[in-house]
Amino acid sequence: MNSVGEACTDLKRDYDQCFNRWFAEKFLKGDRSGDPCTETFRKYQLCVQKAIKEKDIPVDGVEFMGPNKDKPES
Amino acid sequence: MKIWASEHIFNHPWETVTKAAMQKYPNPMNPSVFGVDVLDRNVDPEGRLHSTRLLSTEWGLPAIAKSIIGVTRSCTYVQEHSVVDPKQKTLELQSTNISFTNLVSVDEKLTYKPHPQDPDKTVLTQEALISVKGVSLSSYLEGLMANTISVNASKGREAMEWVIRRLNTEIEELAATARGSIRAPMAAATVADK
Repeated sequence: MNSVGEACTDLKRDYDQCFNRWFAEKFLKGDRSGDPCTETFRKYQLCVQKAIKEKDIPVDGVEFMGPNKDKPES
Repeated sequence: MKIWASEHIFNHPWETVTKAAMQKYPNPMNPSVFGVDVLDRNVDPEGRLHSTRLLSTEWGLPAIAKSIIGVTRSCTYVQEHSVVDPKQKTLELQSTNISFTNLVSVDEKLTYKPHPQDPDKTVLTQEALISVKGVSLSSYLEGLMANTISVNASKGREAMEWVIRRLNTEIEELAATARGSIRAPMAAATVADK
């Protein structure tokens, strides 16, 4: 599966592989030990956030997004 | 405003169905989905996994349809929020379109739970709320969309079965490879003994 940002597809696949393994082998089995995917997720996220801004996709309510972050405090 | 709802039983345990749901795309039944991205993901204090995803779809509208609707692109984006509770064994997904919100609003909710009488089965309850804005004949259009959702729901269930088969095949292949790699050195040892 591709990412909406063409440049992010490889990063997405790395993250997906890590997540799917953790999800099946740890999370669903009740193993609450740490998430091994935080680093791959971070790299992937940086790329996706950029792609979403560039394509002007109206994502709603997600922390990193939106003009609100740039509004000065009043 | 049109409400559509359905219930379906999968002959697979909840864990299998949940793993498949998290890896639903790509699949041959939903070829218009060309991108899936995770926007956010975290585990809450109760141990439930929350994910926000962006689904990118391209309907391949013919040029004439695009000019009627008045758009230059036919990418539609859907935002989905899901919660997996591994203790209660529930997976809940809610999605809404974030494109063409001035024209139409489609909100869908899916819940996957183990079958109350049979732990090897999973029940899916699905509902959709559709509303077409600012157009006369809106209830007719909403009816058409409900129909499309119904057809897509059945494709979605086929897609889930396809993903489940794919995951099971991968597991069997891994197991066969493991058996093969144990057998080879044993066979070699037998030959060496002679």
